[in-house]
Amino acid sequence: MRGKDIVLKQASVKFDDFTAVHPLDLTIEAGEFFSILGPSGCGKTTLLRMLSGFLQQTTGDLLIGGESMAGIGPSNRPTSLIFQNLALFPLMTVWENVAFGLHMRGWSKPKRQARALELLETVALSEQALKTPGQLSGGQRQRVAIARALAVEPAVLLLDEPLSALDLKLRQHMRAELKQIQKTTGITFVYITHDQGEALTMSDRVAVMNKGRIEQVGTSDQVYGEPANPFVATFVGEANLLRGQIAQVADGYATLDSPIGQFRARNSHSLKPGDKAMLFVRPERMQISTLTSKPENAIEAVFQRRDLEGPFSNLYARSGAQEFAIHQTNTEGVSYAASDRLTLGFSPDAAVVMAEGALSDA
Amino acid sequence: MRSLRRSFGGPMTAVILLLAGTWIFGLIAGPQLIMIEQSLWRMEQGEGGAEISARIDRLYNQIDILSFDKMDIEDKPASAERDATLAEFTGKIDALTVEIAVLEATETTPRKVYSIDNYRLMGSAHLAIFAKTVIASLGVTAIAFFVCYPMAYTVAKLAPPRRAALILLALTVPYAINELLRIFAWQMILNYNGLANAMLGVFGFEPVPFLESGTGVFVAMVYAYILFMVFPIYNTIETLDTNQIEAAKDLGAGTWSIHTKVVLPHARPGIAVGCIMTFMLSAGSYAVPYIMTRGTADPWFTQLIYNKFFESTNWNVGAAYAFTLLAVCVVFIFLMMKLLKVRLQDIAK
Repeated sequence: MRGKDIVLKQASVKFDDFTAVHPLDLTIEAGEFFSILGPSGCGKTTLLRMLSGFLQQTTGDLLIGGESMAGIGPSNRPTSLIFQNLALFPLMTVWENVAFGLHMRGWSKPKRQARALELLETVALSEQALKTPGQLSGGQRQRVAIARALAVEPAVLLLDEPLSALDLKLRQHMRAELKQIQKTTGITFVYITHDQGEALTMSDRVAVMNKGRIEQVGTSDQVYGEPANPFVATFVGEANLLRGQIAQVADGYATLDSPIGQFRARNSHSLKPGDKAMLFVRPERMQISTLTSKPENAIEAVFQRRDLEGPFSNLYARSGAQEFAIHQTNTEGVSYAASDRLTLGFSPDAAVVMAEGALSDA
Repeated sequence: MRSLRRSFGGPMTAVILLLAGTWIFGLIAGPQLIMIEQSLWRMEQGEGGAEISARIDRLYNQIDILSFDKMDIEDKPASAERDATLAEFTGKIDALTVEIAVLEATETTPRKVYSIDNYRLMGSAHLAIFAKTVIASLGVTAIAFFVCYPMAYTVAKLAPPRRAALILLALTVPYAINELLRIFAWQMILNYNGLANAMLGVFGFEPVPFLESGTGVFVAMVYAYILFMVFPIYNTIETLDTNQIEAAKDLGAGTWSIHTKVVLPHARPGIAVGCIMTFMLSAGSYAVPYIMTRGTADPWFTQLIYNKFFESTNWNVGAAYAFTLLAVCVVFIFLMMKLLKVRLQDIAK
C-alpha cells in the first residue's frame, strides 16, 4: 500500500447561492498525515466529502495520484472514508464489516474472511471477529472502522473526526495508534478535526480553515509558532492580544503603541509605522517578573485568579480593561493572592505583530 | 405489577388492569374461544328428523294461508254460503292441526354433537376458493411490497425534506376518502363500460371483463391496502443512518448491494409489519370483492363466511370457516417473522 498525492486546483463547492468552499489551491503530498483544522461550519466536512466523491466540486479540478476525479463517484476513487460516527454495519459481524469492501470487489468468502482476520489481527481484534459492532467498546469499534477502511487498500484515507466520541485517555491512545498505522502503511491521511490538540500532535502538516477558506497551511510548529493571521493566532492555541498602532520599525522588530504602553515584538509581517496592528503573545511565553528593575515589555497588572489545568495553571491578571493569561508550570510553586500587584513581561522574540483582522470566536 | 403501582398509585393501577383484562379476555380471547367452541359442534337430529321438521314447517305454512283466506271470508256480509265456506275452512285447519300434533309427537329434539365435521364440510369447491383467496392475498402483498419499497426508500432517503413531505401528503390524501368510495372509483374505471375499456376501445381492442375475471378485485385491493405497506417500511428506512449507505458506497457497493446488504436488512421489521398487515387485510377483506364483483366472479373466502353465518344461518360451519382463515393468518405472521428473522419486540418498535 502506498499513498497518493492530492492536488486541488481552484476547486470550490457551492450550494445554491452559499459557497461552502471558496476556490482553493492545495497540494497534499503522498504519504503525508495532513489535518484540516477549523471551527464547525468552516467547510472542512464539505471539503472532505468533495475528496471522497460524495460531492463534486462546482469549479476547478481535483487530482488524486495525478488523475482527475471529475465525475468519479465514491465507489471508484482510491479513497476510503472513516465516518464521524464510524457507520459500522450493525447487523453484520465484525469480520463481515471488515470484509465488506472485499465482498463488493468480488472476493470469494474464504479469501475475504482470511484477509479480514489478518487485518483484525493488526488492530488486535481477532478475538472479536464473530461479535457484532454493538458488542464492542468504543475503542474497539474505532479499530474495526479503521480495519474496514484499510481492507480496500486505499491510497488515501479520509477521517472525519473519528475520535470525537471517545474519552480523553482512549483518544490519546488512538492518536498514537493512527499515527503508527499511517507510518507503517504509507497511506496519505487526510484528517478533519476541530480539535487542535489532535491536529497538532498527529499531523505532518495542518491546514487551518475558516469560512470556506484556508487561512494557513504549515507544520504544527509553523501554525502554532508563526500564525499567518489573527484568526490562526487565536484559533490555534491561546493568545494574549494587544491592539494598537505601529510606532516604529527596525531590524525586524516593531514597536506598538497601545493604550497600556509601548511594546516591542517581531515584525515578521513587515508592517509599516502608522499601521493599525495586533500584537499576540502566547500565555506560556508570558513571564511574571521578580526583578525590581523594569524589564522590557513590562505590564503592571493586578492578579485575578488561578485555574488549575493539571500540568500547568492558568493565571489571569488585569491591566486596565485588558486581561492577560499566563501559563505557569506547577513546578514553580509560587502562589499569589487576589489583587496582588504583578509585573508581567515578555521577550520581543516571543511576540509578533500583524495587521488587524478577524479573530476566532472561540 | 409493583412498578405499575409505584408509577400510577393503587386506584389507577386497578383501572389499568381492568381495562387490559377486558381487552385481552373480553375482546380477544373470549370471542375467539366462543368461535372455536361453536365450530366444534353441530345440532344432530334422529333418522329422518330433518324431513319431519320440514313437513311440520310446511303444514304450519298451510295453516297460515288458510287463516288468511278465512279472515277474508269473515269480512263478507253474512249469508248461508259464507257460513258453509267458513265451516269448510275451519275443518281443514283442524285437520292440519291434528296432523301436526301427530308429527310433532314423533319428532325428537336435536342433540348437540361435538365433531370436526364442520371443518370437513369445506368441500372441494370451497377449498378451491380458500386456496384462491390465500394465493391472491399473497399476490397483493407481494405487489404492494414491490411498489412500496422503492417509494418508501425514495421518500425516506433521496427526496429533499420538502418534497418528501409533499409525497407523504399525496399518499395520505386518498385515505381520507371512505374506503367504499375508493373501491367504487376502481369499479367505475374497470367496469365493462368503464374508463379502462373505453381507452382500450380507442386503440381498437375488444373490451376486457376486468371485474368478472377477478382482476378488478386484485387491483382494487392493492390500491386499498398499499398505504399499510408504505408507512411501516418508510418508518424503518427513515431510522437508517444515511452514513451507512454512504459507507457502503465508499467501500464500492453498487445500488443492488446497498439495498440487499444494508437497507433491506435494516428495514426487515417494517417489511414484516407491512406484509402482515397487507396480507391480513386482503385475506379478510369483504367490501372489496363484494363491490368489485357483485357475484359475477368467484367469491372471496370472506364472502363464504358471511353466507354461512347470515344466509344459511349455520353459525357452526361459519365459525369453522372463520377459524380456518384466522389460523392461516396466524401461520402467515409466524412465517414472516421466521423468514425475516424478526422478533416480536422488533415489530413492537
